[in-house]
Amino acid sequence: MSVTPLLRKVFLVDLLKGMSVTFHNQSEKERITEQYPLERPVIFENYRGQPRLNTNPDTGESLCIVCNLCALACPEQLITVKGERNPVTKRKEVVSWTYDLSRCMFCGLCAEACSTDALELTQDYELALYSRDGMVLDQAALERGPEPVRYER
Amino acid sequence: MLDAVKNYLNSSVTPGEAGSQLWATVYIVAITLGVSVAVICMNWLERKILAHMQIRLGPMRVGPHGLLQPIADALKLLIKEDIIPANADKVVFWSAPVVVTMTAFTTFLVVPFGRTHAVTDMNIGVLFMLGISSLGVLGIIMAGWSSNSHYPLMGSLRSSAQMVSYEIAMGLAIVCAVLMTSLQTGTGTLSMIGIVEAQSAQGTWFIFKFFPLGFVAFGVFAIAMIAETNRAPFDLPEAESELVAGFHTEYSGFRWSLFFLAEYSAMLAVSSIAVTLWLGGWLRPFANTLSGSAWDLAFSLIPALSFLAMGAGCFLGTIRMPKIIQMRVQTIGLGVFGALLALIGLTLLLPGVRERVQDIYWFVAKVACFMYLYIWYRGTFPRYRFDQLMKVGWKVLLPIGLAVLIATAVVGLRQELWAAIVGVLQ
Repeated sequence: MSVTPLLRKVFLVDLLKGMSVTFHNQSEKERITEQYPLERPVIFENYRGQPRLNTNPDTGESLCIVCNLCALACPEQLITVKGERNPVTKRKEVVSWTYDLSRCMFCGLCAEACSTDALELTQDYELALYSRDGMVLDQAALERGPEPVRYER
Repeated sequence: MLDAVKNYLNSSVTPGEAGSQLWATVYIVAITLGVSVAVICMNWLERKILAHMQIRLGPMRVGPHGLLQPIADALKLLIKEDIIPANADKVVFWSAPVVVTMTAFTTFLVVPFGRTHAVTDMNIGVLFMLGISSLGVLGIIMAGWSSNSHYPLMGSLRSSAQMVSYEIAMGLAIVCAVLMTSLQTGTGTLSMIGIVEAQSAQGTWFIFKFFPLGFVAFGVFAIAMIAETNRAPFDLPEAESELVAGFHTEYSGFRWSLFFLAEYSAMLAVSSIAVTLWLGGWLRPFANTLSGSAWDLAFSLIPALSFLAMGAGCFLGTIRMPKIIQMRVQTIGLGVFGALLALIGLTLLLPGVRERVQDIYWFVAKVACFMYLYIWYRGTFPRYRFDQLMKVGWKVLLPIGLAVLIATAVVGLRQELWAAIVGVLQ
């Protein structure tokens, strides 16, 4: 046995090194835990969360032109869009829009396919619900955006 | 009545020496309460410091920074269902936690918190403490046996093997310190107060005596005392990954909390033995290099200043709390706690209180350092395997202990030995 490992053992060098690591871990800079409901985490721009149907901010009309591209793009086929042509404006208008959130895997292909930037996956992440009832979103719910359910006793 | 209290407060002996049963009772109650409160504080501190060492936050929700968490835990334990397993030996099962707690608390009878702040000054103090604290293993074996279950039995067997093997190294280290008391003064003593007074008379803490002999003896004791109290890295009797919870697997509710109380007060007890034997007990640090009345005054102010600093830390915490409506009650609570600490600090500034209390402060501060070390070890070291544990106990600590004992005796008697050798040669 050479001398160095023996000396390391006798003077507990490795133990002291470990102790210095744990001691330095105590500093506030090292801490990464968040106090979740009180401190909100920073969400990145390209995070894909709750879907939203955008409206024209000036007129309040839906931007959706019922092109059905999102429904075709969706691998889960959870989007159904129905519309009919308005005889006056010659534009297709939405009759029913459903988005089944319970089956969604947030791949974002629908938002990518959207030709008018009407459908968008927002950065909202609080999607948990107390029942499955609210999981299928209609046009009104999609335009309102997410409404997280507060826990109440 | 007031005069009696005043007379007593000015006396310079322990209640045991003065033969005052009333004051002995007062001290016993005070120490019991103090130890219980210390255990509650340790519960919070351990969870908090361990969490910080593992880059977590620890308890944060019950009270400001989780300060009320131990109280919530204690309440929960008190109202839990009291389960005794159907096939358990009921009488033994019932008495095991009592035995463990009693032994852990009885050791505090001879702990000198100051020259006058001990219940009594036994002339066999160290021996008494060792004897009583090793009775604790009886309670652990009782708990393991009476549970009539595999894990507790394994845990208690491990515990007994561990305690027996480490008690020897511990005893050798203690004999070193007792040998040192007999040097220069001529008469050795086993009394806890006598040992501290010997350190004060010899002008050095025994950890620095015959460097490095005192230090090595202290090191042997420091390792053996962790093994004695079944703490990490020697916590095999309650190894969670192997034995669920070791000897107290079948215990729940209040009985379990008695085991908890006993474990932590045993830690306090062995730490106070270490402080008394090697770190000068209630003596203030730097008594030799920084002597004189000015330094005495400065050091007597430290207790008050440290409490004021803790209060200031609390106020800093209130400022740094998140400014949210949900945290308002917590912020106010932390402020009140800081004010309380500051009030204690201001009380300690009074000259009369200052003189009486600084002994206790230094003793408790030293014990607190040991408690921090306990948590630090737990946060750092992985658990030993059982054969490694035995190897450390018998093949490392025991020979070192024997060597240090012999070396201390030889170094202590070097002049006499030299004279004898010279005499033979002539």
